[in-house]
Amino acid sequence: MRKVSNLIRVVILLGLLLLVFVSGCMPGMGGGCSGAQAQGWSSFAPYNELICFGSMEGSVIALNPKARSEGKAFPSETEWIYAIKTATPGSACGAMCAPSSAASGKGIYATPLVIDDLIFEGTYTGKVYALNASRGVVRWIYPREGFETVGAIVGNIITDGKALYFGSANGKIYALDAVTGDFIWEFQTSNKIWTAPVLDNGIIYAGNYGGNVYAIAAETGREVWSIKIPSAVASSLAVKDQLLYFGTFDRNLYAIDKADGTVKWKYLAGNWFWATPVIRGSTIYAACMDNKIYAIEAADGKEVWKFEGDGQMVSTPAVTDNHIFAVSEKGTLYKLDITNGTMISSVSVGYTVYGNPYAEGDMVYIYARDHKVYAVDTVKNHVDWDFSSEIK
Amino acid sequence: MVDIWNVAILDPVLNGLIALSQMLWGNFGLAIIVLTVVVRLILMPLTFRQTKSTKAMQELQPKMQELQKKYARDQKKLQQEMMRLYKEAGINPLGCMWPMLIQMPIWIALYQSIMQALAATPENLLILSQHLYPWDLVDQAIPLNENFLGLRLSQPDPTMILAILVGLTMWVQQKMVTPPATDPRQQQMSSMTTMMMPLMFAFFTLSFPSGLALYWVVSNIIGIIIQYFVAGGWGYFNFPSFRQPRPQTQPQSATQKAAEQPSKALKEGDKKKG
Repeated sequence: MRKVSNLIRVVILLGLLLLVFVSGCMPGMGGGCSGAQAQGWSSFAPYNELICFGSMEGSVIALNPKARSEGKAFPSETEWIYAIKTATPGSACGAMCAPSSAASGKGIYATPLVIDDLIFEGTYTGKVYALNASRGVVRWIYPREGFETVGAIVGNIITDGKALYFGSANGKIYALDAVTGDFIWEFQTSNKIWTAPVLDNGIIYAGNYGGNVYAIAAETGREVWSIKIPSAVASSLAVKDQLLYFGTFDRNLYAIDKADGTVKWKYLAGNWFWATPVIRGSTIYAACMDNKIYAIEAADGKEVWKFEGDGQMVSTPAVTDNHIFAVSEKGTLYKLDITNGTMISSVSVGYTVYGNPYAEGDMVYIYARDHKVYAVDTVKNHVDWDFSSEIK
Repeated sequence: MVDIWNVAILDPVLNGLIALSQMLWGNFGLAIIVLTVVVRLILMPLTFRQTKSTKAMQELQPKMQELQKKYARDQKKLQQEMMRLYKEAGINPLGCMWPMLIQMPIWIALYQSIMQALAATPENLLILSQHLYPWDLVDQAIPLNENFLGLRLSQPDPTMILAILVGLTMWVQQKMVTPPATDPRQQQMSSMTTMMMPLMFAFFTLSFPSGLALYWVVSNIIGIIIQYFVAGGWGYFNFPSFRQPRPQTQPQSATQKAAEQPSKALKEGDKKKG
């Protein structure tokens, strides 16, 4: 009897250990008990001959593609790195535990924003950094020292040249003075914001995870209008002429009137439109997590063409005059003909990619989950160089 | 193998949990509680069998102790006699383990579902997209509201209240089914294992998302209720402050006390049932 009850206990314990194991909760497994770690997926912003990005290790890095191509040691010439100090996870049980707050991850999701000689980066730890773009030296940090952070910043920061605007996981939209980093206003929405707002004619448009879309006056931070849609807003917003475009978790791409939020049309696909829609001329190019890139008429939502890749299309494609560069989650970069979606070439980097590709001439830069930046030559169709952001 | 697991077990549980959350006014904590109750109800026949099997084993305890005394020096014979006793009583000594083994994948699926559904990080949300059914209920529920009774269900409970509740409910449940041992050494062993499990679960609760701890607490409470009604009463669990001290007319040996206790507990249970 006792042997049997002890056996039962052993079975429960083994089960629990299995549970711990499959969840990646064991120390050193790097998962954390709350699942996948917040690693980030920043894309690139150009500054002179540099390309700048936020790394999965929590640094802002400026790379010189020429120096990388020549195989020089990093940092070389004009290159720099700024390591952002992150808060230690404050959980009650040490290294085994999940971070006590979702914002205690290290990685950076937002793509840096460059204005003149300043580079701005929003972090998952809930801070905005303004750095000198040529040297990587801090100009200011918001919130100021001693003040609470603003909640995880996942979406990009936008600007009108004078102020910075961004959404936060605490459901607020903030406006800061771009030169000084001083607080201008904040606007509380009903739910978490993990996407970027868009600015058009002095109005900021933003969507949140409560299924709300807001129009806010950039000058004052006052609400102009807001609407509620059946599902949460999955993508950042894009604007063209009279319409706003965004994807939702009910697998639709929405087009709404920017004047009052009236729904003009919606396009249903097989999964979420997580990536920001890109508008060129009269066509929207939208990456969808059903593995497809859709070209859709901006005015009426009619499908022009679609292209299917080898995995989920998580990142926003880079669109040039003649081509679309889209990366699948599996790490395959596709070069498509913009007119009909025909594949011209493809190159695989061999690792998962969530971040947006950045195109400059024939080169496309990709930041993959193996912590490496890949420079892909889309004419020669090969990886020209790679750079690991895990700098020792 | 992973695909089979996802398609057959994880995805149905995950989508069921999310859809349930949407039906329950977007309250994911409530969805966890309701799903736990549903899972326990589905597993009721197994739990019932396990409890009955445990109860039958307890009834054999006095005879077992007699055998242990009788064949203390012949372990082989003791094993044979014990097996014969089990056979005569129609009990499979490992019978009460099967329900436990069957429940294991459901625990794991529930655990994974809670973790994935809450999607604490942007990466988690992307992974979640690969498991969702194209149901309106599911689409409208994503992303889930992780707040419940002051808890963030995707994060460990910083107040330690859930850890204490998990440990306490598990300890009570174990005490209800663990008979006192015949000799002091065994008694010490038994007390230690009865304490170890709840302590370990309480410790793990400090690391796991509170959504999972909520599941454990509810599951334990249901287990206690089932045990109470099926086995009859609190079994071997004593409330020291609630019971009157029994006057002892003559000293009894530890073995005699232990041999009598199960039948007393069962009689009390029978009275309550009656």
